[in-house]
Amino acid sequence: MTYHLSIFMENRPGKLERITKILADHAVNIRAISLASAGEFGVAKFLVDNGETAYNALKEQNITVSKRRILIILLSDEPGAMHGLLQVLAENEINLEDCYGFVIDRGNQAALVIEAEKYPQAEGVLREKGYKLLSDEELRSL
Amino acid sequence: MFWDKPVETMEEEALRELQLRLLNETLAKAAGAPFYRDLPVREVKSLEDFRAVPFTKKQDLRENFPYGFLRTDLSEAVRLHSSSGTTGNPTVVFHTMDDLEKWTDQVARCLYMVGVRKEDVFQNTMGYGLFTGGLGFQYGAEKLGALTIPIGPGNSRRQIWFMQTFGTTVVHILPSYALRLYSVFEEMGLDPKKDTKLRIFIIGSEPHSEELRRQIEELYGVKAYNSYGLSEMCGPGVGFECPYQDGIHIWEDRYIVEVIDPETGETVPDGEEGELVLTTLQKEAMPLLRYRTGDLTSVIPGRCRCGRVHKRVARIKGRADDMLIINGVNLFPIQIEKTIMKIPGVGKNYLIEIKTENFMDKLYVKVEVDREIFAGTLSGLTELQNRITEELKGEILVTPTVQLVEPGSLPVWEGKAKRVQDMRNK
Ligand SMILES: [Zn+2]
Repeated sequence: MTYHLSIFMENRPGKLERITKILADHAVNIRAISLASAGEFGVAKFLVDNGETAYNALKEQNITVSKRRILIILLSDEPGAMHGLLQVLAENEINLEDCYGFVIDRGNQAALVIEAEKYPQAEGVLREKGYKLLSDEELRSL
Repeated sequence: MFWDKPVETMEEEALRELQLRLLNETLAKAAGAPFYRDLPVREVKSLEDFRAVPFTKKQDLRENFPYGFLRTDLSEAVRLHSSSGTTGNPTVVFHTMDDLEKWTDQVARCLYMVGVRKEDVFQNTMGYGLFTGGLGFQYGAEKLGALTIPIGPGNSRRQIWFMQTFGTTVVHILPSYALRLYSVFEEMGLDPKKDTKLRIFIIGSEPHSEELRRQIEELYGVKAYNSYGLSEMCGPGVGFECPYQDGIHIWEDRYIVEVIDPETGETVPDGEEGELVLTTLQKEAMPLLRYRTGDLTSVIPGRCRCGRVHKRVARIKGRADDMLIINGVNLFPIQIEKTIMKIPGVGKNYLIEIKTENFMDKLYVKVEVDREIFAGTLSGLTELQNRITEELKGEILVTPTVQLVEPGSLPVWEGKAKRVQDMRNK
């Protein structure tokens, strides 16, 4: 299963830095990050090359972290690609709980990370429509 | 089941007769202390007559420091305990050898009541020295025959090492520290339920809620009993929960229990809340008459299922001076604790802050989240925040600002928890 790490965090200087230091100390590479805040606190999501190492290291440092299942969809880095994907999801009534993107190869390939309600179904629909999903191994070797 | 069967199973009438006899002895003895020299009442015909005796207050102890309450010759006194005074003189309590023996016996009685036996290993994490929680339990547990470890407070990893190495079964601990110690178990990858032989916790010295007790019981897989005492009476051993955990039995062969309206001084009926007032019945060095403890509680009506007649008082709500007044509304910190501790997702520590903002009082409640329950969504966190806010509003009638904070980020205390920070402009 592909996942990113969701971390509870107080909205204060130095909090995010503490996380990135732990990851750096364990030679974990960050592929993408997203932040959502509700004022005094928020949730940071980290997509990393080695989720298991990162998760264990964070746990050991008593960070409030949990694994969230995701799908990473490869898109061509061109106008309309994102729209096409969202259309497919909407047509199949798949709700997104969270979503962010990152570019893999400028002008060529981008990836969209989604947390969806219905995993097996979402995955099935996307594969059927010819979308390519990034596997754990591929994520590691990016 | 009984450490002192004749006393513990005494019927109502016999117990009142005993109290009256001991009270008259105490009144006679107390006259030896400078403070009680001119007491208007020397003998009483009934326990009701006794209400003519004026209250003794903590302030009196301070003002008559150091020997104003000592009734024996100094050569008879063998120990003193003292509570630190934040203002003025400390309060000092003297003990004769007989006082120490009776105190020890009371603590043994309490421990025996909840099932502690000579086969147990008793680890006492309370402070030794002038504070009574250490030595009081040390002697009581030894008298009962338990292997007693005078480890004292602090150094959590060493506490756990002792628990594991010597197979500790009973622990005497501050409730706030019990929760903190659990996180150290977690950090060490240990589960006290599986990795220790713990079965009984004695918790006291801090007002705490039923919810906190249940949490301690669940985390450790133990029975936790509420211990009540104050150094002015002797220390721990004044009162204790029985196995039914339904109120604290005060040992009435040793104390007269009254609950009064703190404003008027009038006795309130059983079941009604007021200030606990205690009179020593068997103290030699330093008898205290109608001593206002400052602790708020009520007498639980009716006889306990354990059969003991000795009066039960409800869990201490706090001290009269713990009460917070926020924009004119009265509340006790323990109301906040009992509300938040039963909400899933709430962690093990919290902090109450009161500030002045725009000339109004503003209540902040900082709550650590439970690391294990965090599901990783922001919506889950805001739901938790809203639920805490709503439930607190219902309980305390003040709308707090609830702030969720990371586990382990709030201050911890070596001694008693200081969970209220009042930063209002005075
Ligand atoms: Zn009972």
